Amino acid sequence: MKPFVLTLKASPVQRLDLSQLLPHLLAGKSIAEIAAIDIATTREKVSVGDVFKVAAGDGDEIRFEGGSERFDGIGRGLQSGRITVNGDVGMEAGRQMSGGALNISGRAGPYAGSCMSGGRMEIGGDAGDFLTAPREGEMQGMTGGMLVVRGSTGERPGDRLRRGTIVIEGHTGNCPGSRMIAGTLVVLGRCGAHPGFLMKRGTIALARPPVLGATFVDSGQFASSFPGIFSRLLQNESRGAAKLFRGSLRRFSGDMAALGKGEIYVPA
Amino acid sequence: MKVLVDGAEAPLDRAASAAAHLLEQARLPLIAGLGADVEGTRAAVALAERLHGAYDHMSSEFALRDLDVMRQAGQFFGTPNEVRVRADCVLMIGGKLTTAWPDMLERLDLGKPARFDDLQKPRKIFWIGPGRGEAAAAGATEIAAASAEVPGLLAALRAKVAGHKIRPDATIERKLAGVAEDLKAARFGAIIWSAETVGRLTIEMIHGLLLDLNKTTRFTGLPIAAAGNAQGVVQTSGWMTGFPMRTGFGRGYPEHDTWRFEANRLVESGEADVALWISSYKTEPPPWNRRVPFIAIATPNTRFPYPPKVQIDVGTPGIDHNSVEFEQNLRTFTAIEARQASDALQVADVLRLIDSNLDQTLMKGTEAC
Repeated sequence: MKPFVLTLKASPVQRLDLSQLLPHLLAGKSIAEIAAIDIATTREKVSVGDVFKVAAGDGDEIRFEGGSERFDGIGRGLQSGRITVNGDVGMEAGRQMSGGALNISGRAGPYAGSCMSGGRMEIGGDAGDFLTAPREGEMQGMTGGMLVVRGSTGERPGDRLRRGTIVIEGHTGNCPGSRMIAGTLVVLGRCGAHPGFLMKRGTIALARPPVLGATFVDSGQFASSFPGIFSRLLQNESRGAAKLFRGSLRRFSGDMAALGKGEIYVPA
Repeated sequence: MKVLVDGAEAPLDRAASAAAHLLEQARLPLIAGLGADVEGTRAAVALAERLHGAYDHMSSEFALRDLDVMRQAGQFFGTPNEVRVRADCVLMIGGKLTTAWPDMLERLDLGKPARFDDLQKPRKIFWIGPGRGEAAAAGATEIAAASAEVPGLLAALRAKVAGHKIRPDATIERKLAGVAEDLKAARFGAIIWSAETVGRLTIEMIHGLLLDLNKTTRFTGLPIAAAGNAQGVVQTSGWMTGFPMRTGFGRGYPEHDTWRFEANRLVESGEADVALWISSYKTEPPPWNRRVPFIAIATPNTRFPYPPKVQIDVGTPGIDHNSVEFEQNLRTFTAIEARQASDALQVADVLRLIDSNLDQTLMKGTEAC
């Protein structure tokens, strides 16, 4: 099976909406039909053919050769198949994806993985603010799937996380795991102030925690078989995360300002 | 009152046509600042739609903090008058509230018992993290806190109100001694804050605290609106497009995105190639660093960081001409009569003149309002 390959011709002068370039939407389309897809976000018209050289494939895979901070909505609503980007992407990569795999070799903008509900997403570089977070007026963020960021992220990754697992191998800005409802967030690097602010339930694991707020109550050494099982699950995703869960952990419960049924694990 | 084109005095008609010409050449024209009354805002949103451009307000960062909490978590609202006549307990949060709302103390009259308080007892007033001297002027018990400490203190206070345990912390115990009990003992309380000094999550924590307090008593929230009629622009924009500011018409229909249409980001990234800066309440220059060509519809004597292509001085709403705007003292729209009526130009008139000079073949969307 050959992937569709979209090679960037020149860096775009306006932000592009690439959310229509999904494997199940391209299936059966000719090169001319794909080249005609409108991806403009301003009154100046731009179509796929203006920005990319298109090589047709027959599989359920799309490969972008070259990226840009202005590539918005890559893999938005991805249901199945695979999208690979050799380069950077803009905002809302993998937003609302429910299945399949999205791999970005470079950096991602804000709201990467926003409200994703399934599938697997990996970002090789850094990600912006509000990783997996809900957008204006939405009540919950990520509700399923697996997201791995090899680099660092901005503020509030995992905001209103509902289900699924996020692993950030680098650092994060302030308030990771803010307003979490459930799900798991793992941060291996340094972490900004107020982790888990307003979280109700869910699990945050911090390899290098800051001083936790007083609304996180020390519940002592954590003795359970769960970290060992979870460590094996994470082995193929992130060795650092797997190692964190193999070691001994101390548990804090919170955010006592909210429901207080969440937990933050730190190395004991 | 100056009208300048490329720095030289020019008749208004020529300035409007130069501005129109600049805007219609742009890929993504941006209307920023937007310090205008309702009439000016209506003209600005209509112009943005016509141009397929985007618009943002200079205080949107603050206005959207309150709005984002409302649309993602919900809010409790009261009016200043309700607080004045009913509140027997008031909790103020963050510094510079009296700068953000200069009439606050006079309007709320906290020194006297609330008129509808049957017991006619002095009000209990607390202020977490006030500016220097602010708490004393309000007759409030000061709970000193640097702005970075406010979120943690509020979280601890909410946990105490809910009866949840917190990690032992001597400083917090000392600062919050008795406060949770007093809040719960209130028969009608109010919490006052300004989004200019507290962040989004802290505002959500305030509303969580209000929610918990309302399980056993009555408590309301009183946010202080951001400057430059920001709240008025939120509502005007709402009835015209369905969205607040930070909305764009690039594809012919309104799209709201608080990240994508943030004015400064649009300019600094080079995505907006022409800007129209509106500031009719104060001499506020545009804050960006990139020298994007711009048109200024602004208060006289504004000092611009670099010269605008077209500059049209305008009067101040409510002073030079009658206006309708959001008034913090009432927390609603109000009609304001000109205090010193003059023949100074109005934002709405200038924008409509620019609109009438646009190339008529420009794509025209369905008028929003």
